Amino acid sequence: MTSLISLKQITKSFKSMRALDGIDLEIRAGITGLLGPNGAGKSTLIKLLLGLVQPTSGTASFLGFDVRKQGRQIRNRIGYMPEDDCYISGLSGVNAVQFSGCLSGIPKTESLRRAHEILDFCDMKQERYRMVDTYSTGMRQKIKFASAIVHDPEFLILDEPTSGLDPEERETLLKRIRLLASQMGKSVLISTHILPDVQAICDDVVILSQGKVKLCEPLANLNRTTNPSFCIRAIENIDQLAQELDTNDVEVIKNPDGTLTVASQSPELPEIIWKAAYQTGVNIQSLIPARNSLEEVFLSTVTESPNTEEVD
Amino acid sequence: MPIHDVGYRRLTNEKNSSLFRWLAICRIGVQLALKSKWVKRIMLTAWLPMTYWAAGFFVIEKQLIADQLSLVGGDGSLNQAAMLALTESITNRFSFFLGVDDLQNVFQSGDIPEIRNTIWRWMLMSFFRYPQAIVILFLVGFIAPSLISQDIRSRAFLLYFSRPISKLEYICGKICVPSIFITLVTTLPALCLYMIALLMSPDISTFPQTWDIPVRIVIATFGLVIPTSAVALMLSSLTQESRFANFSWFAVWGLGHGAWLTIVLATALQMGLPLWDPEVMRSEVVTNWSAISLYNSLGSLQSYIFGFETFAESWRGIISLFGITAFSMTILYRRVSSPM
Repeated sequence: MTSLISLKQITKSFKSMRALDGIDLEIRAGITGLLGPNGAGKSTLIKLLLGLVQPTSGTASFLGFDVRKQGRQIRNRIGYMPEDDCYISGLSGVNAVQFSGCLSGIPKTESLRRAHEILDFCDMKQERYRMVDTYSTGMRQKIKFASAIVHDPEFLILDEPTSGLDPEERETLLKRIRLLASQMGKSVLISTHILPDVQAICDDVVILSQGKVKLCEPLANLNRTTNPSFCIRAIENIDQLAQELDTNDVEVIKNPDGTLTVASQSPELPEIIWKAAYQTGVNIQSLIPARNSLEEVFLSTVTESPNTEEVD
Repeated sequence: MPIHDVGYRRLTNEKNSSLFRWLAICRIGVQLALKSKWVKRIMLTAWLPMTYWAAGFFVIEKQLIADQLSLVGGDGSLNQAAMLALTESITNRFSFFLGVDDLQNVFQSGDIPEIRNTIWRWMLMSFFRYPQAIVILFLVGFIAPSLISQDIRSRAFLLYFSRPISKLEYICGKICVPSIFITLVTTLPALCLYMIALLMSPDISTFPQTWDIPVRIVIATFGLVIPTSAVALMLSSLTQESRFANFSWFAVWGLGHGAWLTIVLATALQMGLPLWDPEVMRSEVVTNWSAISLYNSLGSLQSYIFGFETFAESWRGIISLFGITAFSMTILYRRVSSPM
């Protein structure tokens, strides 16, 4: 699959501080989560992709356009939802979205029609006629999201899209993003600190730390554990099963919810588990492959030593 | 769910040319400015002086027609004494600004079309220079300070610059906002006055005699709009608080003109003459320092555009305005770029 974003040895320095340090990155179509601790270079990377800051060195292309020279063409094709609480004071919600459409070149009347359509899609009701200044954080997030998609962009860059939303709204927004990607064929880059959001909707994950790409992998690969491991739920006598597995050189972890996570170097781990269950007379309720949590992956990636080479 | 909710649909319509997207910034700025009741009040007040000037055109045209009929003496020459009386009565208040000597030379020539052209130019220049300049001071003071400072405060820069809009287009869109209001209170009434004057003139042959005046009005508008908008927006870009920009705007005008008035006062005291004596106004010190006042510099440029001053007389004001505009635009561009 061709890359929509292709960065080669991109460096961006601000005086003595190096925000991006020789980044090589390929992002394909789909939903990509951009993760990283504060100060990792995520915002700089986004501004660089938007053509708002110029790289100090390296080459970058976004949707086939050169980031250095064709920022305008790039911005014509993308929708950006900033993290900051930014708005134009004195405008109503619908006028704010209409104005965003006009800035992207949609004629005034058509832009108003489109703004209403998008606000319906975002489930914004009569409050769309209120001044943006009076909105709650959640409503402003909706307006920013609506402004980002009003001109039907090919690519969406969403910076902390779910921050400030209640759980229900958060779930709904993630559904909308998923719908835009799956039914409208849009590609999305989500920069966030909320790992469950990434886990819920992303196809790929990029982890930035100290201005470097520490990891760029499909989410499915990250979920896979290195050793064969399983999560076991039994009806009763799970402690006996744990003891039996322990004698068979299987690493056993007892989880607080009463389940067991078992791991072994042996590729025959499922057979070992079933044999142990037979010998102890334990009825296994479920046996499912264990998954790495994204949080574990994230923490292990960003806490690696600074000299660690990036993972491709 | 709204009954017309159609979900997310592809946008199929053609987009506008990228050349005119800054107009959206201008339109929204005008729309927001018009929400202020004070701006509406100032706009209405700004048109009141037009009635006084319209009456002036009526009087002058009546007199000029009368000149052609009755002020022409038995030998066919113009009754210069009557014309001078008229001129002096009109120019009495602002004689030291308007160069009455030059006007008198024109009147003495007895060429009615030339006299008409000169009086009309002078009338319109004084319209620009006195009532409308004061109106512009307040109007721009109400509109411009919030234009960029509010964008800085509400971090709206990212909304603009994440779209296919360049910094120059942003500045262009913002500058157009005060420019449109200035045009509405200067150019439009001035052109209306010209039309009124044409309607009051004896016949259509007046137009070929005065065709240059609308052109001068338009050029004078540019001369007024560009420096004032640039200074006001530069001040707006320097702060997040529009009230500071507002205060600075009035301070720039007040301090500059106040300093010049102090020089005038000192010169008048030194010469032992009344403050507004033409001798004081034409003294070298007062003329040399006149450019420290933005008001004087704009007046100087307008006098040049309307043909009452030569470049040699008005270069200080023109250079000063050029410098102020270039400085303001440079600061403005840097300030607009810095949030990135």
